[in-house]
Amino acid sequence: MSFKAVLCNFAAVAAVTALSAGPASAESMLQGFKRLSTVASTIPNNGDLNPYAVFVAPAFSGVIQKGDVLVDNFNNGKNLQGTGASIVLVNPETRAMKLFAKLPQNLSQCPGGIGLSTAMAMLRSGWVIVGSTPSTDGTTATKGQGCLLVFDSNGKLATVWADAEINDPWGNMAVVDKGDSATLFISMSGFDVLSADIKDKKGESVTVRKATVMRLQLKIAPGAPPKVVNRTVVASGLAQRADKDVFLIGPTGLALIGSTLYVSDTADNRILAIPDALKRTTSAGAGRTVTHDGMLKRPLALVATPNGHLLTTNGKNGQIVEIDPADGKQLAARWVDTDQAQQPPGNGDLFGLALSPKGDAIYYVEDDTNMLAKVSK
Amino acid sequence: MSERPDRATRRGFLSAFAGAAALAGLPPSSAAAQTTKASVEPFYGAHQAGIVTPVQTHAYFAAFDLTTAKRGEVAALLRDWSQSAARLTIGEPALGVGEGDYAAAPDATEMSGLDPARLTITFGFGTGLFEQDGRDRFGLKSLRPEAFVELPKFPGDQLAPARTGGDLLVQICADNPQVAFHAGRALAQRAYGVAALRWVQSGFVSNYGPGKTPRNLMGFKDGTANPRADSPQAMNEVVWAGAEAPVWMRGGSYVVVRRARMALEHWERTKVAFQEQTFGRDKLSGAPLGRKGEFDAVDLAAVDKDGNPIIPENSHVGLGRRATEAGHRILRRAFSYDDGANMIAERWPPWRQGMEFDAGLVFVCFQRDLRTGFIPIFEKMSRFDMLNQFVTNTGGGHWACPGGAREGDYIGRALLET
Repeated sequence: MSFKAVLCNFAAVAAVTALSAGPASAESMLQGFKRLSTVASTIPNNGDLNPYAVFVAPAFSGVIQKGDVLVDNFNNGKNLQGTGASIVLVNPETRAMKLFAKLPQNLSQCPGGIGLSTAMAMLRSGWVIVGSTPSTDGTTATKGQGCLLVFDSNGKLATVWADAEINDPWGNMAVVDKGDSATLFISMSGFDVLSADIKDKKGESVTVRKATVMRLQLKIAPGAPPKVVNRTVVASGLAQRADKDVFLIGPTGLALIGSTLYVSDTADNRILAIPDALKRTTSAGAGRTVTHDGMLKRPLALVATPNGHLLTTNGKNGQIVEIDPADGKQLAARWVDTDQAQQPPGNGDLFGLALSPKGDAIYYVEDDTNMLAKVSK
Repeated sequence: MSERPDRATRRGFLSAFAGAAALAGLPPSSAAAQTTKASVEPFYGAHQAGIVTPVQTHAYFAAFDLTTAKRGEVAALLRDWSQSAARLTIGEPALGVGEGDYAAAPDATEMSGLDPARLTITFGFGTGLFEQDGRDRFGLKSLRPEAFVELPKFPGDQLAPARTGGDLLVQICADNPQVAFHAGRALAQRAYGVAALRWVQSGFVSNYGPGKTPRNLMGFKDGTANPRADSPQAMNEVVWAGAEAPVWMRGGSYVVVRRARMALEHWERTKVAFQEQTFGRDKLSGAPLGRKGEFDAVDLAAVDKDGNPIIPENSHVGLGRRATEAGHRILRRAFSYDDGANMIAERWPPWRQGMEFDAGLVFVCFQRDLRTGFIPIFEKMSRFDMLNQFVTNTGGGHWACPGGAREGDYIGRALLET
């Protein structure tokens, strides 16, 4: 229906090419997902742009319907990165989009201001938790430490978490939600990041290996915002660096399968495994490398599929890549954003990712056109 | 500003040219302005010129802010501007400034040897004439037409205040850029002490031959789907305000101007097939995708063998056609612009930064009602148009262009002398 669908020929060709590049598996989930369509514009009335996080509401609460897709924006109406301050709600059935929450640019409790990142989750109790990785001018020169913001299910800010260990919460969260308690995994990518102007021998901005993944144990009492009862850094020493074009490159995706936490180590172009992530009391460092390079082109958001695979979005092209974490095989890649305004098509367009509750669609954002889109069977 | 004696007569003007020609040793005929019928677009008429007039190759837009607090001075300015415009369009100099600090005779020497080049001058009133910061500055608030609403903020708008808005708009068009600019300067000079320049913008569009649709800087034909400007019935439906408007606005039209920067470097790195998907038209012929001729019907229902639409849903033409089907119509009268190059941070992945051309489109459209014209059309396009990743609106505004004036009358009198 959209231009994507029209470019399906191109998409199909690209997908097949990618498939043949990896060891094709009959169990690949992506193989069955061929229909590309746009769901809705993600631009609220304040003009915020550059959608990042995608999260499907697990429950009815407040103004949120179960199955609604929450999307936040990283840029403000002037299109400066790290200044977006809005979350929208999309009903994927009606394709209606409405504003869920909007914050002022500056919030005294959140060091550096507001720039909503890919770190967003909604709990069954209705609370929406989202990270801020802020700047004031769209560059990392003004990057602040940020915070974690907690909204009620009517979009009202309830509380803010900020301290020295919370530094630019960046990647999509992995969540274990038991209702009255929950475990969140959040990557932090802002520790001592150097100026994007300082280059290494390869001509890239200098990598600083200080990013972490933090586990937060939450207690949720009825009628009160969640309380953090325990925090543990489960991974550390991960690569992060500033970037003139895409702002920040650091661990961007987290997904939990069993007790293993998988991390998309974006800057090092690989997927890591952190063992015993739910219970461990010390950092596993960078854990174990599950897979690297190949079809991975700067992997971003990460989700687990019902059959125990991982899906990640590529930052450097418009593909979603499927990985079997058991053996590290890259099973398939589907070219879901074929916008040839970028080369390779879709370069820089993808970020957040989520599965529909029925498992029949994969939602993703398109930063080129500011849309929520889906690929379905 | 009071009415001043018309010091420069047509005869005096022409003889001045003849004198200059004699000094230069040229035969008089080559120096004197050859004001032929073909080079003159009448200023006076039921409607203002420059709206349904076949488009000229150059434009000069000048927006002014009123510095006076007196409605009488605004009226005097419009009377003066109308008379000056009428004179300029037949190759005579604007009225002279005769008193005060800026007293000067009109200097039209640069026009010597040039014909009026189909000069048209169109005047528009901004919302600031009716209300500014809640103040009814000139006692005109009650006469603001219902259709003259504020434009909403559209997604992606990067309107710079210094390039946006203005109490008065003067749209000057001519087949010669110097004629157009001269008229802009002459009118600005007439406004001293009453209105100050807010922004100006020049534009151009090439004449591709009779009946040919001009091309924009992206290489595509621009304006194929326009209603016929030579059809009075179509213009009554689409362009001219009718009985629904206050008396002063009847026979006038609402204009929207948008300075739309194109990311040309980015565009030129894309494949033509992709560009055609983005526009929904064949680049060379201008035909809707899947058809042969430029003016063939746009068939949004046509699908390829896989069932996908031939004209993409979010292509420029796809969205434009749907707007037309919903009854939203405008008359486009766009120009290209080229304002050099400057530091640009592109708004789309991969967010390139560097010295880039500041060039694009001066989008201009006229309509009978903004609420059924530009606003609903652009509400959709600003969200969904695939072209958005190559275009940024950086300035412009909207104005109410009153109906035309008879000879001896002036534009806007029915409003300003109410």
